Amino acid sequence: MVSQNKFFIAIIGLVFVVGLWIWWATENPNHEQALVKFLSVEQLFKDNQNDRIRLGGLVADKSIKLDDNNYLSCNFDLQEGELILPIHFVGVRPDLFKNGAEVIVEGLYVNGIFEADILQTKCASRFEGDLRDAESYNLDEVSI
Amino acid sequence: MTAVLGGLTLNLALGLAIVAIILHTIYLRTGDGRLFLSGQRAALAVSLLSFFATIILTQLLIVSNFDVDYVAHYTSRETPLIYKFTALWAGQSGSLLFWLFILSIYAVVTILQNQRSQLKLMPWVMIVLVTVQLFFLILVNFVANPFMPTEADFVISNGLGLNPLLQNATMAIHPPMLYLGYVGFTVPFAFSIAAMAQKEMDALWMRTVRQWLLFVWLMLSIGVMLGGWWAYQELGWGGYWAWDPVENASFMPWLAGTALLHSIMIQEKKDMLKVWNMVLIIITFTLCIFGTFLTRSGVMSSVHSFTVSSLGPIFLGFVFFILVVSFGLMSRRMKLLRSNKRIESFSSRESGFLFNNVIFIVMCFAVLWGTLFPVISEAVRGTKITVGAPFFNQINIPIGLVLLFLTGVGPLLVWRKTSKQSFIRNFTLPVIAGLVMALVLYLMDIRGYVLISFSLSVFVLTTIVTEFAKGIRSRITVQKENALIAFWQLLRKNRSRYGGYIVHVGIVFMFIGFTGHAFDTEKEFGIKTSESESLSGYTFTLYKIREEERPNHYAYIADIIVEDENGKEIVKLHPEKRIYFHRNPDPERRQPHSELDIYSTMKQDIYSIFNSVDLENGVAYIKIMINPLVNWVWFGGFIFVMGTVVALWPPKKEKK
Repeated sequence: MVSQNKFFIAIIGLVFVVGLWIWWATENPNHEQALVKFLSVEQLFKDNQNDRIRLGGLVADKSIKLDDNNYLSCNFDLQEGELILPIHFVGVRPDLFKNGAEVIVEGLYVNGIFEADILQTKCASRFEGDLRDAESYNLDEVSI
Repeated sequence: MTAVLGGLTLNLALGLAIVAIILHTIYLRTGDGRLFLSGQRAALAVSLLSFFATIILTQLLIVSNFDVDYVAHYTSRETPLIYKFTALWAGQSGSLLFWLFILSIYAVVTILQNQRSQLKLMPWVMIVLVTVQLFFLILVNFVANPFMPTEADFVISNGLGLNPLLQNATMAIHPPMLYLGYVGFTVPFAFSIAAMAQKEMDALWMRTVRQWLLFVWLMLSIGVMLGGWWAYQELGWGGYWAWDPVENASFMPWLAGTALLHSIMIQEKKDMLKVWNMVLIIITFTLCIFGTFLTRSGVMSSVHSFTVSSLGPIFLGFVFFILVVSFGLMSRRMKLLRSNKRIESFSSRESGFLFNNVIFIVMCFAVLWGTLFPVISEAVRGTKITVGAPFFNQINIPIGLVLLFLTGVGPLLVWRKTSKQSFIRNFTLPVIAGLVMALVLYLMDIRGYVLISFSLSVFVLTTIVTEFAKGIRSRITVQKENALIAFWQLLRKNRSRYGGYIVHVGIVFMFIGFTGHAFDTEKEFGIKTSESESLSGYTFTLYKIREEERPNHYAYIADIIVEDENGKEIVKLHPEKRIYFHRNPDPERRQPHSELDIYSTMKQDIYSIFNSVDLENGVAYIKIMINPLVNWVWFGGFIFVMGTVVALWPPKKEKK
């Protein structure tokens, strides 16, 4: 019969190895999107980050400008309080992306412009919004 | 009026829950049977009142009573009837009531099933169940009441409507299944606490617990898989699992529960690992409550979370309460839980189960680590770090592959000690099959995890097939049955064992599907009518953009012909761009939504998304993805469910 201590040691060893693996992976992520710093626009302006980062804020009113030549490319301003950060994004824009939407972007800050390759919208707000009275519904025509 | 009745019902249920707990507690002290009876009736009444409250809310949703805030927020007049019904679990307070509803079903079933057979345990079981009910009653009464009236000084003519993402048939089944799983773990937990409290650790409660566990585990599994299926069909990013905090919240109890299902067999057969199993039951249940906390508190930003609410601290308090009480009780019963038996060898089945358990729990911890890492890093280092899917994949793929390996090894080990001869006899063929597969893949220039995963899949499948073959062959010789009947009898006579093997087959198929992810390709393009684009040997031609108004949305439909390399038409795809609330004058309130179209075969899925439309120039912006082997995931899931059903099916009573 194997001594129970050996089992104990084997299990501790196994847990230790996997623990080490998790710690190692945390320190050495193998993908640029694995672990990304989440900053505020204020922090970004203060420290001038070169790493890949993630930011959240509102799309400033009437700031969305689509590129005439490349449908997938667009520019807009991210607003956080008083601060404004110009953003360039190439890719498919999510359904809820529009002026005033709450968005999360991820990418690099280069020469005063944030080059984003991930753009996500927060979707819940619309369905938790204010209720409306009858007038806003009395419409016969279809307007898209 | 009905809304007021709903509120009152919840008040009454709250009061009766407290009464039920008190009655049971006094009964335990005095032994007066009348108190036990009244206690049970009070507990039954709590459940019945919870049913009633749920029925009232459903009725309010169906008749579109917008005087109730919840109804006005989650439905509108145009919402189809089925989704008015499913709006019951679309929002915060409704889903908490739904939790209570499911728990009440379980409570009633538990009472009816066990009131005679488990006399000694039942008072404690009821105390635990009603306490959990009480917790949710406090929430729906005081923190998030679904019957709150609308706060507006005008007449609400229409509600906000249900999120179009949730208007999908899967969404009608996925949450209830998940809840049936989540909530169901309360029952085995209650039995375990009762067994410890009454020092009644015989085999009877264990059998009750095992049946329950298997059932709720099945529900949880179906819930998790349907969630993935829904994400794949509806969200339009071409994947089914994103390691979102809330997905993780359902995956963690699944991992702990799966570990428990395995190790509980050792307790049943060998009367060992009792402490460990108790720990697992407590952890699994706590993770269920913790999962609800993650979904409902808004502490993690995720597609599933609702707005930030005051629920967080209350939930955390409850989690803390559960942990302290359960582990406190456990520490006082350690003597009773200790077993004198020892594991005899590393090559025993006991040892195999033990290591499988350790891996499951370590994986559970890895998922927890990644999920909480943003919070941890902010507290420790001061910077908030977001954790992406690649991180979880990096950590969990190797752990998952070890589990896959153990899936093959475990069932071939025998109790106590596997002899060298049987080792060689059982493993030669599977190992050779796995190695041949590895060689073939290597020659095909496939390396890394893909090679390991496919080879292990072949290895595991071979072990299972040989197990079945062995059983069938011996029945053919001994019982003189033909192969088909032998197979059937094998399943019938040993449901849990062979059902388990079938579950393993399902798991292997799912791993094959996961591995296909490594070969995904995609392309985005703008395209005009009768123009073509190509990807992976396929040609995609847009032949029409149509428009159509439907009851609750306006749709643009792209008609695309898909042809293979030889110019043969394979399928026509019709992805849609929909605008919900299209009659709303405020463009900001209209809601665009992409409805996908997928052509699915066992080899691959051709996945099409209609991103947006430029009507002026007649251009449709389309994204095409080719995702190999995805169907194996769903197919594997189906086999998995079938296997569990076999294991669950109650044995027919044999005539003597």
